[in-house]
Amino acid sequence: MAHVACTHCHLTFDESVMITEKHQEETLYFCCKGCEGVYHLLQDEGLDTFYEKLGNQTLHPATQSDDDLSRFDLEGFKNKYIKTNSDGLNEISLIIEGIHCSACVWLNEKVLHQTEGIIEATINYSNNKAKVVWDEEVIKLSQIIEKIRSIGYNAYPYDASLQEERNIKTRNDYYTRILVGVFATMNIMWLAIAQYAGYFSGIEKGHKNILTIAEFVLATPTLFYSGWIFFRGAYYGLKNRFVNMDLLVATGASLAYLYSIYAMITEHGEVYFDSVTMIITFILVGKYLEVLSKKQASDTLDKIIGTMPTEATVIKEGEKALVSIENIEIGDIIELKPGEKVAIDGILENGAAAFDESSLTGENEPVHKKASDAILSGTICLDSVIRYRVTKRAEESLLHTITEMLSDSITKKPYIEQLANTISGYFSLTILSIALATYAFWQWHSGSFETALITAIAVIVIACPCALGLATPMATLIGVSRAAKRGILFKESRMLETMAKSTLLALDKTGTITEGKPSVIHLHTQEGFDPGLLLALVQSSNHPVSQGIQEKLHATYPDLTIPTLTDIKSIDAKGITAKSKAQSLAGGNASLMHSLGIESDFRSEHTLFLFAQGGKITATIELQDRIKKAAKETIQALQAQGLKIVMLTGDHEASAHGIATSVGIEVVYHSLLPTDKASLIDKFHKEGEIVVMAGDGINDAIALAKSDIACAMGSGADIAIEVSDVVLLDDSLERLADAFEISQTTFKTVKQNLGFSILYNIVTVPLAVAGYVTPLIAALSMSLSSLIVVANSSRIKLRRKT
Amino acid sequence: MSGSIITMMIGISTFLGALGLAALIWGIRTGQFDDQSKFIDGARFDNEEELRDAIQMEEKKKQAKVKADKEKNYRPVD
Repeated sequence: MAHVACTHCHLTFDESVMITEKHQEETLYFCCKGCEGVYHLLQDEGLDTFYEKLGNQTLHPATQSDDDLSRFDLEGFKNKYIKTNSDGLNEISLIIEGIHCSACVWLNEKVLHQTEGIIEATINYSNNKAKVVWDEEVIKLSQIIEKIRSIGYNAYPYDASLQEERNIKTRNDYYTRILVGVFATMNIMWLAIAQYAGYFSGIEKGHKNILTIAEFVLATPTLFYSGWIFFRGAYYGLKNRFVNMDLLVATGASLAYLYSIYAMITEHGEVYFDSVTMIITFILVGKYLEVLSKKQASDTLDKIIGTMPTEATVIKEGEKALVSIENIEIGDIIELKPGEKVAIDGILENGAAAFDESSLTGENEPVHKKASDAILSGTICLDSVIRYRVTKRAEESLLHTITEMLSDSITKKPYIEQLANTISGYFSLTILSIALATYAFWQWHSGSFETALITAIAVIVIACPCALGLATPMATLIGVSRAAKRGILFKESRMLETMAKSTLLALDKTGTITEGKPSVIHLHTQEGFDPGLLLALVQSSNHPVSQGIQEKLHATYPDLTIPTLTDIKSIDAKGITAKSKAQSLAGGNASLMHSLGIESDFRSEHTLFLFAQGGKITATIELQDRIKKAAKETIQALQAQGLKIVMLTGDHEASAHGIATSVGIEVVYHSLLPTDKASLIDKFHKEGEIVVMAGDGINDAIALAKSDIACAMGSGADIAIEVSDVVLLDDSLERLADAFEISQTTFKTVKQNLGFSILYNIVTVPLAVAGYVTPLIAALSMSLSSLIVVANSSRIKLRRKT
Repeated sequence: MSGSIITMMIGISTFLGALGLAALIWGIRTGQFDDQSKFIDGARFDNEEELRDAIQMEEKKKQAKVKADKEKNYRPVD
């Protein structure tokens, strides 16, 4: 049977499962009702040029979200997210989910623009964030969200006043300052060439003065506008009683500038405006790179906060009422419908239900809860209506604590003092005092103010921290790019240094050591088993177990024909039932079979999937989460390097120990909640360890944010990737070992660079002090030393095993 | 070469360069480079229809503003 593409989302499926429709001699195919609905809506609204713009891109199938819309019009929600702008209009920041390409942005903006009452709608393609301004008297927010959902996307609100705005502002500020600096440097360079040529081959005094004045004009904004950052840094440094590199740069540049003005006015001696702009611009670029690589505000954190329920249904004296979660008291009874997210912690009063706890434990299996079990906020009720008693206030509930801790730890990341920074502090102080001493000595020795000043300036210029300033960024930049080539993304370059110094590696189990999805280890079949029917059944579900079985079936039975099933019912936490012609089918766990009255006495320590045809079990399948390839070897290699390795998992003891022993990890912490993982990281910190944490789930996010270095798997949850410093794109542990290797090499190079710059200064500074170096030669040798540092750093790239 | 010619050449070229710099900085300050992909797509989705759309949005904004002003200055008839 042929595969065809869905007309809306362009994903290809088998022709037999598609919804077909004749439309003016053309046959349209849709993979689901959602896609069909969106397609017709776009046709009706005259927005069908969307498909031209889309080209061959694929979309997510349009799911019809049945999440409650009314919460968007509630008072609590309004106070939290909606702002009123100066024109008395409402304004909200939204994250639009499902945007894949520019055509999606176009469609969303277009639809919003056409909607009556929406005054402004702009969507940022890079981060999928939108700003919408609307008139409340014409349209309600819930209607706007509904509109976005009707075309197959979804929108969450977020609080835009977080760090993001500030980040963009600093970035733009630096960028502007650099542009001014680069512009001035480029122009001064060609003026300086003429001047140097004149210095060696003679130049008319008048011409020289013109060049000097032009250089002065260009150097002034560079020093005071671009260099403002150094003056500010030096000021704050002095205020807090320490000497930093900013002070050295600021004094060096301004002394050279002042002396050049003096030389310009007296028409005596050489001017050094070019050195002034170059020092400022180069070091500013280094600083900008640092700012740029600083972590972006956590977009995904916004997403989690945005999906946090703001209201819950409280039962009071037999009446239901929606109450804002801040006003819910301990002891209140809350009703929970299937699909709803728990807002407040509590204890289940009566009834039973399956809960999706994956956001807390990382395990995909739904957890069955019965009366007097604890209900945790952040979990999702899957199958029945239940009532539970509140035991904690909203702000003490787990979900709230987690988001709170996350936003805290993102801003207050433990931070190991950088080697270069400490060194450059002492270095700056030493150079400044040497320069001062030199000035004093020459003033006393020669009695000439000019000679004394020139020598002192030569000392500062030759010791210009360019090489020192470049030593770390240059090496780490190359280290980071080499890591990126091997599928390891370092988000911040200074993380290489921290990683090289780390002493403890904490690994999450599911998704980090193991693949995080069950795969079939045994398939027992009995007479009458039809693999085609089983495949058709498991294809109707996207539960990880079904996917594991699908993979196995495709591998064992190629060329299966898939019969059409009817009456497909998915029973949460149990399995799926369906009908094929007259035969009834059921696939799921033992409790499903039990409830259907099908006898089975098969027991297994692994996850069990039973398949019944016509009331008789024909296949039993055992599944287990597999350990990743080369996990054991990698862990042993890392242990051999002297790294302590521990395992942190939300899973129960038996399975945690099973996995740990098979990969050779001795220290295991099991049954941990996200907050427990985080406090363990804190404990390691107290013991003086530098912690690298690797994980992939929402449940690891706080621990990741707390650790010194957080490694996330590329396929992990968005929030985990967002808070981490290192992302391993191909999810393998070997990459983790590579990351350690690269960071160690880089750190070694950084040390070499620093050593060289210091050695260079030890040799040249005495020469300058002795008066053998004119500022011109000092400026040249300063550039040379920077070049050597750059060359040494590029050696990282030439390392073996690239 | 006389000094005045050199002065003029340096002056004019630096001035022109500075104009370009100012334009670039203006672009950054007004957020025109914040979303790179959209910036590029702007050229792809550029036609009469988009233009009409933009005008329509401007109109909407103006109307909203007029309405808001009216409300602000509203005084009950006395």
